[in-house]
Amino acid sequence: MGETVVKLDNLVKRYGELIALDHFSLEIKEGEIFGLLGPNGSGKTTTINCLLSLLAYDKGSIEIFGKKMTPTSYDIKQQIGIIMQDVAVFDELTVYENIDYFCGLYIHDKAKRKQYVEEAIAFVGLEDFVRFRPKKLSGGLLRRLNIACGIAHKPRLIILDEPTVAVDPQSRNKILEGIAELNRNGATVIYTSHYMEEVEQLCTQIAIMDKGRKIAEGTKDELKRMIKNTETVTIEILELPDAVRSEIENLPHVYETAYIDDKFTVRCSGGRHNLIRILDVLRQNDLSFGRVYTELPTLNDVFLEITGKSLRDKED
Amino acid sequence: MFLHNLKYELCCSLRVKDLIIWLILFPMFLGTVFKIAFGSIYEKVDSFSAIPAAVVEVQEDPALHQVLDSLTEGEDALLDVQYVSADEADALLRDDKVKGILHADGRLSLSVTDEGFEQTMLRTFAEQYNANRTVITDCAMNDPAAVPAVVESLRAEWKPVTDLPLSDGNPNYMVVYFTNLLAMVAMYGSITGLHITIQNQGNLSKLGARKCCSPTPKSISLCASLLGSMLVQSVCMVIAVSFLHFILKIDFGSRLGMVYLTSVVGGILGLAFGFWIGSIGRFQTGTKTGICFCVSMFCCFCSGLMVGNMKMIIARFAPWFNKINPAALITDSLYYLNIDSDYSRWSGAMITMAVMTVVLILLGFIISRRKKYASL
Repeated sequence: MGETVVKLDNLVKRYGELIALDHFSLEIKEGEIFGLLGPNGSGKTTTINCLLSLLAYDKGSIEIFGKKMTPTSYDIKQQIGIIMQDVAVFDELTVYENIDYFCGLYIHDKAKRKQYVEEAIAFVGLEDFVRFRPKKLSGGLLRRLNIACGIAHKPRLIILDEPTVAVDPQSRNKILEGIAELNRNGATVIYTSHYMEEVEQLCTQIAIMDKGRKIAEGTKDELKRMIKNTETVTIEILELPDAVRSEIENLPHVYETAYIDDKFTVRCSGGRHNLIRILDVLRQNDLSFGRVYTELPTLNDVFLEITGKSLRDKED
Repeated sequence: MFLHNLKYELCCSLRVKDLIIWLILFPMFLGTVFKIAFGSIYEKVDSFSAIPAAVVEVQEDPALHQVLDSLTEGEDALLDVQYVSADEADALLRDDKVKGILHADGRLSLSVTDEGFEQTMLRTFAEQYNANRTVITDCAMNDPAAVPAVVESLRAEWKPVTDLPLSDGNPNYMVVYFTNLLAMVAMYGSITGLHITIQNQGNLSKLGARKCCSPTPKSISLCASLLGSMLVQSVCMVIAVSFLHFILKIDFGSRLGMVYLTSVVGGILGLAFGFWIGSIGRFQTGTKTGICFCVSMFCCFCSGLMVGNMKMIIARFAPWFNKINPAALITDSLYYLNIDSDYSRWSGAMITMAVMTVVLILLGFIISRRKKYASL
């Protein structure tokens, strides 16, 4: 990986008594797709807003491209593209005009801007909608317009704050492919999302934060190695006596079981041949079963295990 | 960069439906309603009407009859007299069917039960008649040959009603409702002004946040938005004045060009007012919009849009408020332009409006620019 693009050092942000960011540090290298994960209220959006100098912070420092980031760091802002969680476009302008307007805030040369705008339109697949006003677009198309407005000026650093919220699978796929392509073209990407499978599919480096602190960081494989769960076995079974369930719970490497809606789930931590041992117990007790499947841990498991399963009702 | 911002500011402003409705269509509608509602009153010229009077003669006086006949004839008759008995005259006066009783017994004397314009006119007439009669009687006794010349001279001097215009303007007080309407359109500009702040501050809108992330300095973005909105607001003011004057035939006086200028300056003042309100405090967009709308409507109310004599009431109890109320300043300057023959009071109001505009824009600008962080 290349040079450090973003460096957050011991960032502290307080809202009165509430500590939104608690000595939060982060380093993002050039060319990475960096996933920032965390439950609601964990401080993801606060981090992004501090990073963009939309929000003042109490302590710490932020450097982007090796320079201190301030609200008047126009040379740094020139190289950043931002795609907000909410669509931020002008309802009164057409698709083309919206992209041209935002691109024009960065690119002053008309000919170059025209080329960039057309490339952005092609990139997000909005060629057939250039004369449409945003209100005439579907949710997915609107998200794509939002992205086009953020990336038309070809930024070196792209920040996407949950860009696929309320988007259908087809549009989501198109957006994810687009982000990967932007990265292949040389952009460094910071990506926040609640959709674990997106982050797992897209990000090369992931940080999980909770209560304003970074609680884990690494590649997806490194993160998976951090958790207890190594394998989840699920068996469809109509009847499961308590004695049999206890016998399985006492098998080596089994640390958690659940029996809900005729589905028996066994979580194992390390070890080999876990599935064979579980099935052996069922056969020995003359219990018949239906489909059996086994899964390796997902990022979702990592996330839930690290951040806990209790509901978060605070908005980030 | 500035022209790029300005171009899209104009594009957006001209396509906002709310702007077309509230700044163009609504004033047209309200102006038409005013015209229909006040039409009959507006059309009626406040011309002088003959004063009803009773004449009680002790003995018939042909000379008096001749004089009274000359004053009761024609469209511009001064008097409307009835020759009645003393009792009938008292009854007519009691019932307010006549304004006074002229008793003729060689000289004229007047009985009235009230004081007012009509009574003063009757008294003036009676005094003038008695004086002239004395002059003619003396002349007849001393130089009878000169009587016709004296009578002719006195007749030429006797002109009880003279049309003496105070200015070239339209004295009809109903025009005030239409100047108030123009003040309302100008004050609606405050919503446009507020919109400028909303769209440029990161904590008030997502668009503002996106703009704050761009390398365009906030000062350039704000200047472009202000200039674009001022142009659009000015066009709306010109349309409003033109509609009232050319379509509804409202007479704003002889200085229409100045009416356009005053309305445009008023519109920019309204816009500056909204821009300033938008920049102060840490309220959310909805709250600021509500405050701006309420304050604008309150200013219009105090300037007499809803209750005609409200400005007079405020002038009596809090005269300072009329001097800082933007809506009152706009209506006042339009009023001065219509009524006054010179520009002294109008210039004063215009200077006040211009100073207020500059101060409000500068304050809004400084406050907005000082907010380096959007503080989301």
